[in-house]
Amino acid sequence: MRWFPFFCILFSISLFQSTLMYWITLGSAAPDLYFPFVVFYSFLTDIKRNTLANWLTGMSKDVFSEGSFGINSVFFVAIGFFVWSFREILFRGHLVTQILITFIFSVIYNIAYTIHQEIFFYSLSLSATLWMIFCCSLYTAMIVPVLFWILKKFQPTQKLFFIKDN
Amino acid sequence: MRTSTPSFSNLIKHPLATIITLLVISLVLLSLPPNISGCIKMTCSAPMRPFQWATCFCSNKASAFFDNVISALHDAQEKRHLEKQVLQIKNKLVEQQDTIYKLQNKLRTLSKFQTENTAVKKSPILADVIGYDSSNFRKSITINAGSKQGVKPNDIVVSDNALVGKITTVSKRHSIVQLVTDPAARIPGRIVRTREQVIVEGNATAFCKLKYTPRWAKLKKGDDIVTSDIGGLYPPSLPIATVVENETKSGALFQSVKVLPRVNISKVESVLVITQ
Repeated sequence: MRWFPFFCILFSISLFQSTLMYWITLGSAAPDLYFPFVVFYSFLTDIKRNTLANWLTGMSKDVFSEGSFGINSVFFVAIGFFVWSFREILFRGHLVTQILITFIFSVIYNIAYTIHQEIFFYSLSLSATLWMIFCCSLYTAMIVPVLFWILKKFQPTQKLFFIKDN
Repeated sequence: MRTSTPSFSNLIKHPLATIITLLVISLVLLSLPPNISGCIKMTCSAPMRPFQWATCFCSNKASAFFDNVISALHDAQEKRHLEKQVLQIKNKLVEQQDTIYKLQNKLRTLSKFQTENTAVKKSPILADVIGYDSSNFRKSITINAGSKQGVKPNDIVVSDNALVGKITTVSKRHSIVQLVTDPAARIPGRIVRTREQVIVEGNATAFCKLKYTPRWAKLKKGDDIVTSDIGGLYPPSLPIATVVENETKSGALFQSVKVLPRVNISKVESVLVITQ
């Protein structure tokens, strides 16, 4: 895993997510560009680098988000670990797998995040929030082909199919 | 037989130790008080701010360019300008209507004129929006005015004579504004027509909801909600939102009311910070 491209991509994603999201927002659905990044590194790297990459991604999201500092890093590390733990049974080089895994885990992450928020604020309405989670997760999953294509350009892709843990 | 104690560098190489170490750091950060974590956030994001400003600037310019091209085709520029003027006039009307109600009440109850002491002298600071919240479930913006310009936490942020939010975190040159649509936002408000007191609460969507609206309050679509002076944080009579729909469920103590904020955050490029 190359760390310099990792930080460059993380920087670009943070910049895009915090400034240009209104260009690609559809109604109330906005994609989470950090999340495919988490899935990509969970598919690609060994557990240690995966954990560190996901933690840094979570911290990066936390820095540009209102609310508890550190919550996204906890969720991203946990999700990265789960994806990493059963990636061997997946056809992770296949686009459909990548989209499905991103969608499923994005739903899980968003539900966990909104539960955490609801504990503190009691202000989210169930139906609207569930619909928003579904839309955002679907949108996030839909941008996976583009993001994975960009990410593969900067990271060795042949390892997606034959990963040996260091 | 000789056994060696594992060193910290060996321990950290272990995957489980890495996970635990990083999670402990995250949990420690989570347990920090909001002002300290806010300070850390602002410090960490400070190197990014010039890039954010530049990107937003380019984005706004590009957006303006495309808007102008479309406007030239459809003659929509004038319409938008007029709409903006109408919105401002509407907001002013709401403000004045609210003042009229207040004065009527005072006349009725006191039968003598009192000087209105609500107009606290405040100096506004103009700031540009340079960033948005990276989370889909939180609503905040970053502006390019900070403590150097005189911005303080809990200062009020307005645009087009309507409430945008309040300042939560301040650094030297930048501040974070918690929008009215943020789930943590609670704004004491008053329905202009019926004079009911309510709490405007964000729920991470483009809409807000009204909390503690009595069942007997006869609300209509289009009713305006302004800030009330309860709590002392917000100046009174500042337009917040408009009622979109209301529903009274059987057995519920309060009405369920959905409101639309007066300011469309996605179209706001600059805001005014009202300092105390």
